[in-house]
Amino acid sequence: MVKMVGITKKFGNLVANDAVDFEVKKGEVHALLGENGAGKSTLMSILFGLYEPDEGAIYINDELVHIKDPNDAAKYRIGMVHQHFKLVEIFSVLDNIILGSEDTKNTFIVYKDARKKVNDIMKQYNLEVDLDKKVSELTVGQQQKVEIIKMLYRDSDILIFDEPTAVLTPQEIKELIEIIKNFAKEGKAVILISHKLNEIKMSSDRCTILRRGKKIDTLDVKKVSTDKMAEFMVGRPLISSYEKEPYAPKETILKIEKLTVEGRNKAILKDVSLAVQSGEIVGIAGIDGNGQTEFANALSGLQPITSGSIILNGNDITRQSIRKRYETGLSHIPEDRHRYGLVLDFKLSDNLVLQNYYQQPFQKYGILNRKIIDSYSEELIEKYDVRTSSGIDTVTRSMSGGNQQKAILAREIERDHSLLLAFQPTRGLDVGAIEHIHKNLIKERDRGRGVLLISYELEEIFTLSDRILVMYEGQITGSFMTSEITPNELGLYMSGSKRSEQK
Amino acid sequence: MKQNEQHLKPTFLDKTLQVLKATFNVMKPSLIAIGVGLLFGFIIMLIFNASGAFPGLIRLLTGGLGSGTKVLGDILLHAAPVILTGVALVVAFKTGLFNIGASGQMIVAGYAAVHIGVLWNIPGPLHWIVALLAGIIAGAIWGAIPGILKALTNTNEVVSSIMLNYIGTYLVVYLVKQNVYNASTAKSLNIQPSAELPGFGTLFGNSKVNIGIFIAIGVAILVHYIFKKTTFGYELKASGFNKDASRYAGMNAKRNIVLSMLISGAIVGLGGAILYLVNGTNLGTTYDLLPEGFDGISVALLGLTEPIGAIFAGTFLSYIKQGGFYMQVNGFPQQIIDIIIAVIVYTTSISVAIQLFFKHLKEKRLLKKETSLENLKGGSDK
Amino acid sequence: MTLIVQLTLVSVVPLLIVALGGLMSEKSGVTNIALEGLMLLGAFVGIWVIRELQNATNPLPMQLIYFIGIVVGGIVGGLFAMTHAVASIKFNADQIISATALNLFAPAFAIYTARSIQGAQQIRFAAAFRIEKVPLLGDIPLIGELFFQKTYLSFFLAIGILAFIWILLYKTKAGLRIRAVGENPQAADAQGINIYKVRYLSVMASGILAGIGGVIFVVTTSASFDATVAGMGFLAIAVLIFGNWHPGRILLSAIVFGFFRTVASAYSSVDFLKNLNLPREFYQMTPFVITLIVLAITSKNSRSPKALGEIYEMGKR
Repeated sequence: MVKMVGITKKFGNLVANDAVDFEVKKGEVHALLGENGAGKSTLMSILFGLYEPDEGAIYINDELVHIKDPNDAAKYRIGMVHQHFKLVEIFSVLDNIILGSEDTKNTFIVYKDARKKVNDIMKQYNLEVDLDKKVSELTVGQQQKVEIIKMLYRDSDILIFDEPTAVLTPQEIKELIEIIKNFAKEGKAVILISHKLNEIKMSSDRCTILRRGKKIDTLDVKKVSTDKMAEFMVGRPLISSYEKEPYAPKETILKIEKLTVEGRNKAILKDVSLAVQSGEIVGIAGIDGNGQTEFANALSGLQPITSGSIILNGNDITRQSIRKRYETGLSHIPEDRHRYGLVLDFKLSDNLVLQNYYQQPFQKYGILNRKIIDSYSEELIEKYDVRTSSGIDTVTRSMSGGNQQKAILAREIERDHSLLLAFQPTRGLDVGAIEHIHKNLIKERDRGRGVLLISYELEEIFTLSDRILVMYEGQITGSFMTSEITPNELGLYMSGSKRSEQK
Repeated sequence: MKQNEQHLKPTFLDKTLQVLKATFNVMKPSLIAIGVGLLFGFIIMLIFNASGAFPGLIRLLTGGLGSGTKVLGDILLHAAPVILTGVALVVAFKTGLFNIGASGQMIVAGYAAVHIGVLWNIPGPLHWIVALLAGIIAGAIWGAIPGILKALTNTNEVVSSIMLNYIGTYLVVYLVKQNVYNASTAKSLNIQPSAELPGFGTLFGNSKVNIGIFIAIGVAILVHYIFKKTTFGYELKASGFNKDASRYAGMNAKRNIVLSMLISGAIVGLGGAILYLVNGTNLGTTYDLLPEGFDGISVALLGLTEPIGAIFAGTFLSYIKQGGFYMQVNGFPQQIIDIIIAVIVYTTSISVAIQLFFKHLKEKRLLKKETSLENLKGGSDK
Repeated sequence: MTLIVQLTLVSVVPLLIVALGGLMSEKSGVTNIALEGLMLLGAFVGIWVIRELQNATNPLPMQLIYFIGIVVGGIVGGLFAMTHAVASIKFNADQIISATALNLFAPAFAIYTARSIQGAQQIRFAAAFRIEKVPLLGDIPLIGELFFQKTYLSFFLAIGILAFIWILLYKTKAGLRIRAVGENPQAADAQGINIYKVRYLSVMASGILAGIGGVIFVVTTSASFDATVAGMGFLAIAVLIFGNWHPGRILLSAIVFGFFRTVASAYSSVDFLKNLNLPREFYQMTPFVITLIVLAITSKNSRSPKALGEIYEMGKR
């Protein structure tokens, strides 16, 4: 029914999709599996008209088509349920469904026919929702049903689901899988983007695996084990090795006990407990969207927590302000370097003292000591090989991503601290910059600091960590010494197929 | 690939040219806005009086010159409060806020200063100093209110400031009528001579210009240094540029909002006090909002949201207002100036888009050039 | 007491209409604090037209003149509102700044044009639009006295506009789309709605209503236009916010504010108030002070359109 041939899409230097072939048959549930950055969302965004491919062609029912925007996609009966719902919260369910294709009589909206059609749809696919309730009053699972009904109301035959189970409770997930299987039975084509192997096992007929923008293989889900799927998903990661001091952790620097953060629908983080000692790198592995962002925000103070405790260097920082946490010994390389890590419109030197400009010797009597700030900055960019067009006076916005990140790294390491929280520290960087940052993280560890590394890149986790934790659906579901586990097995934990007892 | 190569020591001429070129590039959006404003004004003048339009425009642009030192003095006199209001707006803008309440802050500060100037008996230079201080405090309070409301209750600072503009105006009319009313002129009484800001004798003819202009320039430079050199200025800029990053950095956003609005109001207050501590400038009893309050917006925008820029923009504004005043001789109502200013403000609001538009055109042209070069080289090598 | 009601209605009508104008713009996600300037411009041209029509050799019937003036004011307001629309929607300008520019432009333009053409800035007209008594309806006991005596054409127009806007926003396709665009433009876009078109039309509508409100304000409160609308445009914004962006509440809000404004100008005729000896300015201040207090209390829960003031980015996921 859908055939995508040779799709290539580049964003600058990044090849998101590399000559990918993908096809879905009528009446099939076809999963698109892969890690972060594998290219699944990009591929489907192309199908849905949000992007246009650089190369390649799309055929719907063997007819070559050109999809420039979501309206075109709708014309070809392609519908998509996005990860972040596109609903108007204050509208009723029915209004959300008919928005854009309202029936009118004498300019007044007439609901009769629409209501009938929607009711028929709801009955046919077992998707009951109260049509007159406001969307804001629905549970997340019900909201998702509204998104699904929206697709069906427009007579979509090709249905795309983007990580649909991320926000659902286990019961809702079961319901959704049933609904998806029914669609296939009715002859529709369903594409399921997911990284959760057991759900794919339960719902899909075939599965196409993407890795680093390339298509790896298409498998018959019934005939293949989750082990094999995981192996395809993570591949054989190139684990570079760096020189490290022997593993000899000493005192506990960070201790987190039963950290819980409640969300709208369910707990985003549940009873997370872990410890980091001096002289070790602890890596938290997992697929994006399993609570890592909220965890980092909770630890750094950007987000409040519901319950639990965080103890840093023996001090309870659970309710401390962000500034106090820095003073107690925390350093933080944030996930989103542009939004949190830097003030892009500042000079580089101003960014290098972002958290301690108020301390002596950088200021005295409220006046910044430019000389000391500048010499400190010069020292940092020299030591950490931060390349700029105009030295420390460069406007940070004009620096390359790699150098911006090196600057953040320099700042966070050189500041007085005992624990370094590094979240996706090498995102979007080239090989040289990655190596540079990795070496510095290891130096941190060798110096006796504690490093808590959160990363979506398995290679990075394996290369750097002494110990590895797995975060899945807001909980720690596995804890290992790096030497005790293989990437493939880790893949199974990351996709929820395996879990171990909490230690 | 060492980026920091050694240059040959540039000559003085090179450096000056570089600085001039850089300044010109930076000033481009302002110059464009002024150009558009003047063009629009010229067209309007043409519509109503085609033959007089061109001489009128010339008079507008040159009215401030050549008529003797009094005119120069008057330009400086009127520039002072406008520069200060502009600087105050810059302070707010840099923190990511819009102080649209300058009219209200100015009028309450003006009243505070006049009240002391008329009714209090303080000797010598202390009199006007105390009056200035009263104006600063009044402006600070009036400016802090929207800031506090925003920090505590998330009330939109633009709307609350607008409300306070009217409340302040009505309040002052009442107070003037109650305490310092001059029934024969329907305005406030003249302030005592000891409360007038010191002038320059006959240096500028019989212009009433006073040290207010020095105060204004001084404050602008002070604000410039606060932003450039102090931890406080650093924090304000950070929250204005990127609120999330300033949180990450551990800064206290709410406190900074209140302080920023307070300081902005205080500077407006200083401007208001300076405006009215002049013999012959009296508070009126109409209910109209003080237009000088809105001049601050134009000055801040034209001055590219920089305190030093506000000095030049404020002087320029005062200059063309003077020109507009003289232009009445040519038969054009002086409101043409306000029209021009309004168009300037409008143009600066879309200037970012205009600049992006030109940048986009340039990039398209470059891309066209590149691809045609590629085609000459002969095909891609994939 | 009848007088108070009749006078209050005079204050309420322009506030209501202009606030509804603000509603149209903001419901689609575009802030519009230029209502003051748009009122002024609509009033300027509208009143001018009225004066000319009144001075014609065979003048048309008064109410027709009034109606024409209103229509002209609306057109003028709609046209000028497009400058704000283009800046905000196409050029992603700061909506407060572009609106402020319009507010600065309006009085300057009105004074300049008036002075250039007729030598003075004031436009006098014959204040002959009051309807002393509506035939039949004016004879109904109580209600007749309150609403159908000493009233204006614009009162009935206002009722019509209120009903129209209310129905438009909540019962028609256009209204659904306007509200969707103001709440979640990404969602509307995904359903195939043209965000830009909806916003342009909404901002234009807000200009039309502001222009109409301006003409009505001047006609019903004085005998000349003097290049000002006395802050009514800003008061209308307060009415809009106090009315929590809903037509019904806006009506109530307009009545409250209109009432206080009436008290401000007519308190001397009410003995009780006269004896309090409060200054005139106190009454003038009251609507604004109340707004401030109300805003402080309700801003935590205020329910403005979710995407109000945000610049729309295509394809934001």
